[in-house]
Order: sequence, then structure tokens, then C-alpha cells
Amino acid sequence: MAARPSGPNGFPVQLAALGKDYGHFTALKALDLSVHPGVSLGFLGPNGAGKSTTIKIMTNLIRPTRGQATLFDIDVRRDPIRALSRVGAVIETPEFYGYLSPLETLAYAGRLRGMARKDIRARSEEVLKEVRMGEWAGRRIQEFSKGMKQRLAIAQALLHEPDLLILDEPTSGLDPRGMAEIRDLIKSLTGRGRTVFMSSHLLGEVQEVCDEVALLNHGELLVQGSVRDLSRGSGASTFQATFLAPPSEEDLSTLASTPGVQALKRVGDGAVDFTITGGEAAQAEVLEAMVRRGMRVTSYRPLGSPLEQLYLDRIQESDRI
Amino acid sequence: MIKDEISQVLTVAAYEVRKYLRSRRLIGMVVILGLIIGLILGLPPALGSKYPSQPNNFVGTFAGFTGILVILCGTLFAADALVSEHEKRTGYFLFPNPVRRDVLVLGKLLASLFTSAAVLTLYYLVATIAALAATGAASWEIGLSYAYALAYTGAVVGIAYVLSSVLRSTVAATVLTFFLFLLIFNIIGALLFVGKVDPWFIPTSASGIISNVLAPPSEGPPGPFRQFVPDAATSLLVFAAYFVAGSILSILMFRRRELSS
Repeated sequence: MAARPSGPNGFPVQLAALGKDYGHFTALKALDLSVHPGVSLGFLGPNGAGKSTTIKIMTNLIRPTRGQATLFDIDVRRDPIRALSRVGAVIETPEFYGYLSPLETLAYAGRLRGMARKDIRARSEEVLKEVRMGEWAGRRIQEFSKGMKQRLAIAQALLHEPDLLILDEPTSGLDPRGMAEIRDLIKSLTGRGRTVFMSSHLLGEVQEVCDEVALLNHGELLVQGSVRDLSRGSGASTFQATFLAPPSEEDLSTLASTPGVQALKRVGDGAVDFTITGGEAAQAEVLEAMVRRGMRVTSYRPLGSPLEQLYLDRIQESDRI
Repeated sequence: MIKDEISQVLTVAAYEVRKYLRSRRLIGMVVILGLIIGLILGLPPALGSKYPSQPNNFVGTFAGFTGILVILCGTLFAADALVSEHEKRTGYFLFPNPVRRDVLVLGKLLASLFTSAAVLTLYYLVATIAALAATGAASWEIGLSYAYALAYTGAVVGIAYVLSSVLRSTVAATVLTFFLFLLIFNIIGALLFVGKVDPWFIPTSASGIISNVLAPPSEGPPGPFRQFVPDAATSLLVFAAYFVAGSILSILMFRRRELSS
């Protein structure tokens, strides 16, 4: 489905030299980042990378020290009301008013957003069903678990059918089934033309849900691109080969000289880990070299995804600097 | 735009009042009210003494407790209104909505004033009905005392909101609001009085007008425990100043405060 209309520059999210200091500590240096309409961007990084700080600036919870965050061409700092009117957000695991029910909570959010009562009722039932909270609609939130509150948080973010969803660790606190359901839900939203800006430290989740990835560490953007391109273009991949019989030292030294093999390491008796550069062609070359030497390969598989490798490499590199 | 914001203020206020109702604070307050009224009405017959024969003197006994009731209202219905959004993390739900922080403060302020006024109205209503039953009359001074009590509530709520906008914990805001009015202001007032400075600008001193309008105190010997009470106009100005300054300050502080915990 076509992406929903955004501002004249075409970016639902645009961050320009965005920075935030807490005293002498710089949480965010000068982040430049844009998200195109209809794209789901995974905002990746280790704890303390600056992901939540960025999201809090985008949702007007904190002020930037420098730079600008615009949503649909509207500066969040200057006009937060208009900037946030097309946005639904889940930030950390929010707490709700324990004395209200999910229906009442959604009615509160809907009324603050100026929705008509009839629409609030209809949409509330719809979104609660979507996050599988329908049967809890009338119960007081004070009885809810963290996972249930997370589902409600997602429901309130979807209530007004926002064009942009800003999600901070959306599957946090959910059990594996809940995580899968929320991932499916996010995927269906991007399928409906919505833009998603999702922070996560779960690579698999981002790979499954997002079209693009932005990698952040120490408050700096390390890389941004499509999941497909970054997966392909990652430098080295680690593969593990297992053999019917343990390879000899001669086998290993021959394999070490195969083009693309950067390093290899014996793991137990019948397995070897290879660090291979040069993409899929080099990976195939290594396998062929093993077969040519008459080594009886029982399995040959990547350890971790290419994106994971890229993530680890870039984070390590950034940590060294 | 303004119409939308008025609607948002009313929405916030309605949900705040719902909070006071469902968290049983309002019920707790009504129970306290019942106990005070029960003691005022029950003790004289139990001790074999008569009720005052004049309506002003009769309601004056009630008015003697109005100050503490107003402080309790400020403590229960205002002190944690702003700080709890940060401490209990409900701000993560509320603040990303397209609503100005000023609107949130005004809505909460309205709810605090409305709930406190409802409690005082009930109290004065019972007092007036009891006065009619016991003395066969009521007086316009009762209405005046009620009006002063409402004005004092504004001052207490205004200061409670300032504390709520700057402090980091609900317990600190609640305890400080309570003891500020129960003890600290009274001590400051007494010390100023001893130092021959009239503490007309201390809200608890000004609150003496609530009782004085019904039964002016007889002149006693001067000393630290004699309370200075400014005249009605000064008292009202003091209440208004604390309410306005408190409201503006709390809006400014709440607007600046970041949700970063």
C-alpha cells in the first residue's frame, strides 16, 4: 500500500545535528537521520547508546541541547502539539493510571486528541482486540502485568490511526508469543503505509520487522541503510563447519590459505570456525576447498546473522575509538 | 485552538476528580469530615453542656477546624498531582499526547480546587443546617467564612502545586505541604510576631479570618501564642497572591521539567 502523505520534504522524521548533554555527559552528539514515509526503521544500539534519549526528544519529553527534531516538517520543540498530532508513541514501558480500565484510558487519550466519543469507542474496541486485550477492556489496570501494560501502550499508540509510530523497545516485557504477535502487528502497520521508528537491541526483531536500520553507539550514528544492503555488504562473516572426522593440521593450513579466509579456529574435535570476508562467493569458495580436500563436511552454517556481525564489528570498532 | 484547549483542561480535570474518587481519598476525607462534625455535635450533649445560642458562635466551632480541613485537602488533592506523573511514570503515557503542559497543570489545578471546594461546601452545609436546627437562625457571616475558606484553599493548593512541580517524590511533596501549613508557617508567623513584625503575608496567619468573621477573639495578653490576623481585604489579597503566584510558578516549573527517569 502507498505510504501516507508526509511533509513537503518527504520525511516523517528528520533529525538534524541533534544532541543532548546531561551536565558533562554527552548522551547524543550530533545525530543526523531521516526516515522516508512508509518505511520501518530499526534504531539499534547497545544500552546507553542514545536511543531512548533520541526518542524522548522526538516526543517532547526532554529538550535537545543542540540541533533539531522535526516530525512531518514540524519542529517538535517549537510546536509539539502539531508535531505530535500524527504520532503514536510507546516510550519504555509506560505506567497507566491504575484506577482506570483500558477502555477508560483509551477514552482519556482519545479525548485529549480531540476524537469524537463514537470514534473513540469504536477504535478502542478495535485496537484492544488487535493487541489481544479485548477481554480485559473493562478491568482496572492496577491488576495488570508488565506485558499487559505493554500491550495497552501499543493500543493507545494506535488509537488515532497515526501516520508515524515511535516505539521504544515495543516487545519489552512480553513473553515469546506476545513478542511474535506484536512483531506481526508492526509488520501489518507498515504494510498499511505507516512509518515506524522502532528502537530495539534485539537484532532478530529488527531484521524481521524493519526495512531499514540505523546503528547508534556512544550517541553517534555509525551506519544507516536498508536491512538487505547492510546484510549483504557486511565485512566478515563467521561460519562454522563440522566434519565427520577431525580435520588434520595440514587440512587447516590449506584452508587458511583459501581466498577470503581471514582466520580459522578449531572448536572441539570435529568443528572449525571460519572468519570469511568477500561475501557469498568467498563462503562458497571455502566450502568447495573443503570438499576438494576430501574433508567430509556434515554441516556448514553461519554463526549469527550478517547483520549481527555488522553490528558487533561496528560497535567494537566504535568502542575502540 | 482555545476551544480545544478548554476541552482538554476539562478532560484532564474530569479524570483527576475520578482519581480522587476511585483512590478513596475523597471518601477518606468525607470520613474525617464526619468525625469532626460528630465530635462538634456530639461532645456538648455528652458532656452535659449546651450548644451556643448564636448562629455565629455555633458555626464558629466548626470554623475552628476549617484550617486543618483545608490543609488536608491541599495535601490529599494537590500535593502529588504533578510529581506523580514523573515518579510513577504515567507521564510516559500522558506527555506524548498533543497537549501542552500548561493545559495539564490547569486541568489538575481545576480538579484540586473543585474537589477541595466540594469537601468545604459539604462541611459548611452541615454546619449551617446544624446551626439552623440548634439556634433557629443562620447569618451572612457564615457565608463569608465559607468564602474565606475557599480563598484560603486557593492559596494552599497554589503552594502545594509549586512543591509538586519541583520535588522528586510524592511522599516529600505530600509531607512538606502538610507540615508547611500545619507547623512551619505557624512557627514563622509566631517568630515574626515576637519580633514585632506583623505576619500579614503568612497564609496561615491570614487564615484566621475564617474564624474571626464569625467570632472575633477577645483581646488576651500579648505573647508568642497570640495569633496575628490581618483584616479581611489583606487576607484575601494574600490568598489571591499565593494562588496566582503558585499557579504560574508551577506551570513554569512543570513546563521546564524533563521526563528522563
